[in-house]
Amino acid sequence: MTRIDSSPRPVRRRQPGAGGRAAAIFLAPFFTLFVATMLAPIAYAVYLSFFAEKSSGLGFGGTQTIFVGLGNYASVLASETFTGGLVRLGMYCLMYIPVMVGMALALALLLDVAANGARKLFQLLLFLPHAVPGVIAALIWIYLYTPSISPIVQAAASGGIEINFFDAHLVLPAIVNVSVWEWTGYNVIILFTALQAVPREVIEAAVMDGASGLRTAFSVKLPLIYPALGVIMLFTIIGTLQLFTEPTMMHNATASVTSTFVPNMWAYDAAFNRHNLNEAAASSIIIALLAATLSFVVTKMTSRSNKG
Amino acid sequence: MFRMRAMKLGAAVVAGAFLLTGCGAAGADTPKPSAAPSLPSLENASGEVAFWSSVTNMQPVVDEFNKTHPNIKVTYSVVPSGTAGGYAKLSTALQAGNAPDVATIEYPYLSGYASAGNLKPISDYVGEDVLGKFPGQITDLVKLGGKSWAMPYDAPPMAFYYRTDVLAEAGVAKAPATWDEFEAAGKALKAKNPNAYLASFYPNDANVLAGLAWQGGGKWFGVEGDSWKVTMDDPATAKVAQFWQRMVDQKIVKVEQAFSDEWSQDLQQSNVVGVVGASWSATGIISRTKGQEGKWAVAELPNWGKPANAMLGGSTFAITKDSKNPEAAAVFTQWMSTSQDAVKARGNSGSAWLAYPGLSDIAKNAFDASHFGGQDIYSVYQKASDAVLPGWNWGPDIASTLTPLHDGLGKITTGQTIEDTIKQADKSTTDALKSRGLSVTD
Repeated sequence: MTRIDSSPRPVRRRQPGAGGRAAAIFLAPFFTLFVATMLAPIAYAVYLSFFAEKSSGLGFGGTQTIFVGLGNYASVLASETFTGGLVRLGMYCLMYIPVMVGMALALALLLDVAANGARKLFQLLLFLPHAVPGVIAALIWIYLYTPSISPIVQAAASGGIEINFFDAHLVLPAIVNVSVWEWTGYNVIILFTALQAVPREVIEAAVMDGASGLRTAFSVKLPLIYPALGVIMLFTIIGTLQLFTEPTMMHNATASVTSTFVPNMWAYDAAFNRHNLNEAAASSIIIALLAATLSFVVTKMTSRSNKG
Repeated sequence: MFRMRAMKLGAAVVAGAFLLTGCGAAGADTPKPSAAPSLPSLENASGEVAFWSSVTNMQPVVDEFNKTHPNIKVTYSVVPSGTAGGYAKLSTALQAGNAPDVATIEYPYLSGYASAGNLKPISDYVGEDVLGKFPGQITDLVKLGGKSWAMPYDAPPMAFYYRTDVLAEAGVAKAPATWDEFEAAGKALKAKNPNAYLASFYPNDANVLAGLAWQGGGKWFGVEGDSWKVTMDDPATAKVAQFWQRMVDQKIVKVEQAFSDEWSQDLQQSNVVGVVGASWSATGIISRTKGQEGKWAVAELPNWGKPANAMLGGSTFAITKDSKNPEAAAVFTQWMSTSQDAVKARGNSGSAWLAYPGLSDIAKNAFDASHFGGQDIYSVYQKASDAVLPGWNWGPDIASTLTPLHDGLGKITTGQTIEDTIKQADKSTTDALKSRGLSVTD
């Protein structure tokens, strides 16, 4: 404080309330946008989810808006296609999260011990797929998956392996593969950055104590980057619940991906194909609540493991 | 929200009042007896009309209209085709109350928009002197609850396209006239080349299946008194479903997505040598089968013993509830659908078959059919169009029918049958309509 006081610049005295006003001016754009583009739509969605448009008879008399309470939530949860989508998403998570996080971790640990020159190159190569927009990535992979035009399928067929990535049982792993390809590099960068922050003297101590490279990685580095691991788990889970782009693109290429393949596609179908905005709102809120709950669980778990 | 509703209501009341003082005909909100309606005079219609369409080559049509109708100014916006986002855009605009004056809606989706109160009936503005000239099987499709809701534009009949050279090699000299002959031709083709398919079955285009059921005498939707009837499980449809199941099982037709790269490649490489489609399919076949000029021909769809056909696709122009200028919109839609100038201005419209009598000749002259060895493809379409069975209706929420069909048909390569898929779709459609409060008998 004394340093500031002795500086030649004019001294700014704190007027009571002035800081508040300045803060308000700086914060206003954020809160205006936040309210207009986040809170208001959410409030409107919640409002919509409690109503239904009902017709009568043949329906040509138009519709009436009536209050149905939690009726839309009940019918969304009773819909076999919605719950089927949730189960499918669960299976997707079981495949995607271990594979992607495992690979990201392994690659980050390898990068950390790689030679300096190679590091930059691999960092770039690993990150490249993430720079490809999701829609484009899906299009490329659809080309690689489509029977009779895919070079991969053709090469496999000439080697005597008949494989159809659009088979009803194989299409989910095929989507997992696209996501892994897109997201591993991104998460490698986050984990690698965390590894860079690990104090070198700790690692040196481990080496001095005779720990092998593997031992150092798992017993020293890994515990120190748990917070970063927690962050990527959080992002991954939220991102997974919002899975939409890849299956939507694949829906155009194969009938194995139905129009209600995952919950977000269900909501889209409800809103824009079935013109039932009320059910679409209810399903979106269910997805949001699920994401909030899971995020809460993950943060709890990672913060506990940090303390322990 | 409440204020918005109130304002919209207010606007509707004011608009209604204008209409009442202007001419005595009411807006869409109050159902009027259809007998002897007094229509507004369209002669002095003027003002701006917003028009959304995904139909190709419409800009010159709109330009021509603006040139010849100085009192009306149409602004045209290209939108994605219906299921590719066009309907999503339209529905969102209707919800927000800023839909265009004129929207392009395909026949299967029309009753959904009409029954949700989203349209002003065209029959409130255009008289029987015009609407009555369309063929009856087409007006059936736009008439619901005693009113006509949209102006039919094109009305493509189904047709069967095939490779004359490949079938001749297999000993099939002429196009199969019946479905039995279709099956026999398929077997002959398989005997000659086990890897070839006579046609494709599209799990992603249930409209084709609906058309085949329609042609087979099926009737998926009907109106009985004040109730909708959902009868997708009728015997005629079951017969069609079983036939196509047999074609799939015998690998006479290949299960693949319509318009996919796979399908294009199969046509290009002569793995699939026929297309069950409609009049507009000619354009797609030409672009996908470069190098096969003169080897394709078109025939009426094979039938079940006597001439019968169905429509596949086709669009209507509808005036939305949000139109502030419905009279001018009516003038524009009527001109687009019935005037020769409109068809001429459009030029090559991609083998379009237009609903209004006499217009298809103009479209024919603009279409280069040399890919079909000089065959007069429009005379085939004419016969096919005349044979379209009357009395077909689309349901009031076609997405609730098509979505379960698409989803179910996706499983036919892994054991589910076409017939079961249709039965499931029948049930989910019935449930969906009931949940909207509509009266339904199954």
